[in-house]
Amino acid sequence: MKKVDDGPHSWLHEHGDYLYRFAMSRLHNEDLAADMLQETLLAGWKGFDKFAGQSSIRTWLVGILKHKIIDHIRREIRGRNLSEAVENDPTSAYFNSNGSWSDAPAAWKENPEDLFSNEQFYKTLESCINKLPEKQQIVFRMRDITGEDTETTCKTCDVTSTHLHVLLHRARLALRTCLNIHWFERGNRS
Amino acid sequence: MRHACKKISQLASDSLDRPLSLLERLKFKLHLSMCGHCRDFDHNINLIHKVTAMIHTTDYGQTRLSEKQRQQLHDNLNAIK
Repeated sequence: MKKVDDGPHSWLHEHGDYLYRFAMSRLHNEDLAADMLQETLLAGWKGFDKFAGQSSIRTWLVGILKHKIIDHIRREIRGRNLSEAVENDPTSAYFNSNGSWSDAPAAWKENPEDLFSNEQFYKTLESCINKLPEKQQIVFRMRDITGEDTETTCKTCDVTSTHLHVLLHRARLALRTCLNIHWFERGNRS
Repeated sequence: MRHACKKISQLASDSLDRPLSLLERLKFKLHLSMCGHCRDFDHNINLIHKVTAMIHTTDYGQTRLSEKQRQQLHDNLNAIK
């Protein structure tokens, strides 16, 4: 029998912040994160009979939330047709036809801790990420910011691991160049 | 050796996502030992990788539902249930 306090209202009270934070770290959008949280609480309530009690309620709800987020991203990618063909190779811009660097990388002296705590750098990084083509943004955020594993990223974005590596290579090349222009070359330490 | 920079940059990126094979590792190390540009590239993307990883672990640490959002969720749950 369902205990009275095991309803979605009490889950919201006890695990709401945790689940919301989890969703925010993956979706970076407050309204969307709240929507996913709501769907999760409702799905949990509907499927509560299936909760075996082998894990904690929180772990169980996180599992539901994870699926909701993956479904959302998949729909997003399909709906907007964010495909990016492997054949159409934007990395050629960074190399000469013989495969050598056309715009040679330079040494960056800063260490990650200083950059991380610098708000200006953070803004520059965000704006460079936002300039990436959408599919590259999604895979880059999932892998490098959220730290999702390769398998989950591939499954969510409907790509093979080979295609994923191609997309990440493109994203990192573009990001490196963007940061070089807007931060490192400028000697921007403001 | 220079002709290989494009491929080496792919390996540098891959090494952040998967273990390289023995052959790939040898090729990669050998090339880096001779090519300063690719060494810089490898260093650059590793630096970006470290910074972005830090963003995730700390950025949302303080995130909470606002009172308004919380109330809205309670209302919605009541309406749907």
